[in-house]
Amino acid sequence: MFSKRLKKILSENEEAKRIRASLADWVFINSQPPRIREALKYYIETGDMYVASRIANLTVEEFNEYRIRARIPNVA
Amino acid sequence: MLREFAIADTCFLIDWARFRRRDIIFKVFRTVFIPESVIREVVSENTISWISKWLAKRGLSLYTESADELEEARLLVVRTRRIPQIIPVDVPEALCLVVGRKYGYVVLTENRGAIMATEVIEELSNVKVWRSLELLVEAVKSGVLKVDCDNPEKVFREYMEDTLHIFPRNDYSKAVAEVVRICKKRR
Repeated sequence: MFSKRLKKILSENEEAKRIRASLADWVFINSQPPRIREALKYYIETGDMYVASRIANLTVEEFNEYRIRARIPNVA
Repeated sequence: MLREFAIADTCFLIDWARFRRRDIIFKVFRTVFIPESVIREVVSENTISWISKWLAKRGLSLYTESADELEEARLLVVRTRRIPQIIPVDVPEALCLVVGRKYGYVVLTENRGAIMATEVIEELSNVKVWRSLELLVEAVKSGVLKVDCDNPEKVFREYMEDTLHIFPRNDYSKAVAEVVRICKKRR
């Protein structure tokens, strides 16, 4: 069932998580109010902007601005 | 050659709208459909004015989903959650996959779960899913995006800078190699 391509995507997903975490501005993230802070952490973990925006109680575009301010790359 | 139709999810479009050469999408596709939810998710003047302008020029078109399509998208969300080894999808990208399958539209998304779903779920196996990387390569291939052949990475670097985006290493290398190949062919 699991093709080489799927295995590649899963392994890239792990690499993406490492990249997001290593490039993120943690000082900025930790200085945010709880909802934003946890949403940014969720995004680093999953790369899922839609759910992260719901956690932050923001629109996707508003959350994306926080992502950029937190220097978290969109790895895709 | 101009392709017919695509459907874009919110996360793709919001990042794409930050790209300095964002209008090339309308030279690759005749019309890009955007689900109604996309409109609710944009707030900046820059993105709203770009979307409004291209809705008026018919490069973008609003896609109003039917109750059946929404239900199908919800079932797809559940199906992906039953396969623990893959990244599950949520309703926005699931809806794009459902519409992409139904009408043969290219699905524009950066969501890895959506790409995985087309690999694992048989009914979705014919759905074409493109990230911004594939769209950029296609734009170069079709000649709508001019590249600097002395600096084949430039076009990708511009996108990465504008959107704070990083392409996966292997896919990025392949995309740059493709641009180099196109440049050699044109010389």
